[in-house]
Amino acid sequence: MKISALIFGYNDYAWHIAKNVMHKYKDISIFKLESDEPRAELDMFEIENFDLSDEWSVLKNNYDIENSIAFCILEDNAENIFLTLSLRAAFENLTIIALSKNKESANKLSMAGATKVIPLVQTTASIITDMLDKPIVTEVLHNILYEKSDLKVAQLEIKNHICFEGKYPSDIDWSRKYGIIVLSVMHEDGSSEFIFSSQAKHHVIQDGDIFVVVGYETDIKEFEKLIGGES
Amino acid sequence: MMKRLILDAAFFLNTSKAYQANKRFVYNVLENDNYKYKKYFDMFMITLIMISVIVLIREVKFHVNDFFLYFNNYIISIIFLIEYLLRLWVSSSVSQIVIKHNEHDTMLGKEFNLFASLVDIGKIKLKYITSMRAIIDLLAIVPFFHQLRLLRIFILFRVFKLFRYARSFQTFTSVLATKKFEFLTLLMFSSIVIFVSSVLIYVMEANNPNSPIDTLYEAIYWSIVTISTVGYGDITPATDAGRLVAMFVIVAGVAVLAFTTSLVVSAFTEKLDEIKETKTVDDLKKLEKFYIICGYEKIAQEVAIQLSKNNNLIVLDENIDRIKKAQKDGFTALNYDPGSVDSYKKLNIDIDTQVKAILCLRENDVENVYTALTVRSFNKDIYILSLLMKEINRKKLSFTGINEILYSKELVGLIAKEFVGKPVAFEVIHALRSEYTSVDIQEIIVTQRMLTSFTLVEQLHNAQYRLILLGIYKQTHKRFFFNPIDSTVLEQGDYLVLIGNSVFIKEYEKYLHKKINR
Repeated sequence: MKISALIFGYNDYAWHIAKNVMHKYKDISIFKLESDEPRAELDMFEIENFDLSDEWSVLKNNYDIENSIAFCILEDNAENIFLTLSLRAAFENLTIIALSKNKESANKLSMAGATKVIPLVQTTASIITDMLDKPIVTEVLHNILYEKSDLKVAQLEIKNHICFEGKYPSDIDWSRKYGIIVLSVMHEDGSSEFIFSSQAKHHVIQDGDIFVVVGYETDIKEFEKLIGGES
Repeated sequence: MMKRLILDAAFFLNTSKAYQANKRFVYNVLENDNYKYKKYFDMFMITLIMISVIVLIREVKFHVNDFFLYFNNYIISIIFLIEYLLRLWVSSSVSQIVIKHNEHDTMLGKEFNLFASLVDIGKIKLKYITSMRAIIDLLAIVPFFHQLRLLRIFILFRVFKLFRYARSFQTFTSVLATKKFEFLTLLMFSSIVIFVSSVLIYVMEANNPNSPIDTLYEAIYWSIVTISTVGYGDITPATDAGRLVAMFVIVAGVAVLAFTTSLVVSAFTEKLDEIKETKTVDDLKKLEKFYIICGYEKIAQEVAIQLSKNNNLIVLDENIDRIKKAQKDGFTALNYDPGSVDSYKKLNIDIDTQVKAILCLRENDVENVYTALTVRSFNKDIYILSLLMKEINRKKLSFTGINEILYSKELVGLIAKEFVGKPVAFEVIHALRSEYTSVDIQEIIVTQRMLTSFTLVEQLHNAQYRLILLGIYKQTHKRFFFNPIDSTVLEQGDYLVLIGNSVFIKEYEKYLHKKINR
């Protein structure tokens, strides 16, 4: 069983996605519809044919679906939504990333069960706006995301709350004491609270709390040792 | 000797900075609609005209205070005279004409011909003096000679002067001028009808003792009153033949009135877009810093919505439907081709000081390359950002001197990379960027004013505003310093990168700009 990046769509997006996830997924399969014209640049990847007939036995038999990731990037909005829906119906635990070309299809893709929807127009527009409005912030965040600086964002679980002696997260001067910045506290349901929000301010630190922190790798490691491990 | 003196004087005036600056100032105040102080001058002149007219009306039946009469007859007239002379002065440059003639003569190896220059100067000034506007200006000064009672009526010419100062009058006349031919046809038609009917009614009625029409003057008066559909009824035809003429004139009158109304309406409808456009372009001058978005397709629409929250912007597109959409979305949009130098000239703006950046957001590489090249042809420094639709065209876009190229397909790849490689950072950073959460990440530039109260990081007290100082971007090092130590010195031009509630960030920025006495 292969752990793979399954890319549904035989186009420019497929090439860019494949190129960027190669470091994480050794096996990349690109699925093309019969009507798609051949493209030389995609030949380096494994190409398979598929149709929208709900026949997923090839996937079931050959891939470790739970640990694989699927990208739905068909050019046609309706087909893309249909594909997402079909994949979700067949595989409950598959991570599906879907590309939407407009707001309306973004909502439909979410409803169809996509784990993450990339709204192309909105994302491009936000990046343009951020680049113009907040150039410094954009650069800093870009460097964190693409590991161009030593800064890292991590999710750490508190396993040793004794060292905080029943304090509130906002009472501790994290930056001076541990060299890291705590951004938010995450709850079990996955929702997170900003460190200075009223709710986080009245929450005593206890075991099981998950902190989202920013800092240099070495400082994060040190802090991790102190609190008892990364989640 | 005389020639030498005049030439010296011409060269002196033409090169004198003080003289040219003064002349430019006077020109701006009198003639340049884009000059910001012109409106104050215009308002002052309009006030003087109104005073004149009020005095004239009051004088008809009542005694007017001698001071007002004096003010009206002398002071206002003298001000108008000065204005007239200044306008005559700035209408053309005498020194330049003299210099041009001298250069011309020197080039041909001839002696400088002073007489020819004077003739030229005379011609050019006379052309101004005989223009409609200058004649009205001159007539408005005439009431100065108030002893001649008849001349007092010339005060009314001062009202005509209003045309100079109120732009809407100019727009009105220019709109009507577009239908000159139609109005002339109408005038001809109504003149013929008036002439024929006056003659007819005179012939039919003048000899009838019961008819009030005795003279041709009365016949013409009756025709005009009837054709205009006013119909006072003070003069009415008494004979059957006269009534027949009346019926004809009435029918013609209805046609004339309908035609006139439709002409005025159609002239305005046709010119409405142009009038609106002129107003939009005029308003642009008041904008201090704005973005120019070229094209209004899907991505451009979204960028416009997001940018307009904190910035001014204008949209240029050669497609009228897209421009209409932009206008409907509430943006300043002009149906100008962003790939034409002429469009930027028509905008009449200072790109270096007024424009923050030009965004080529057409979803077509050819159009974006063309627009970028057009902009670069007249401005080398303005920041240009462009969309790229096909990887194959990247080099072409770079070649045109675009500062930032954005390729949305590549972005999708990068987002996929973030998501599979760094899911935590991805979620956190996207939450910070997203407009739906109240927590935001912002940068605040360190200004000179801030430095009078805050010089070190430890003095910032951001935690009091529930804000996290992620770091400082030091302009001197061109580097971002994460979690800076308390003794870090703040310098002008540095950026503080803060995370927190967007409202608190705004409050905090205000706090930083307040002067705090330590």
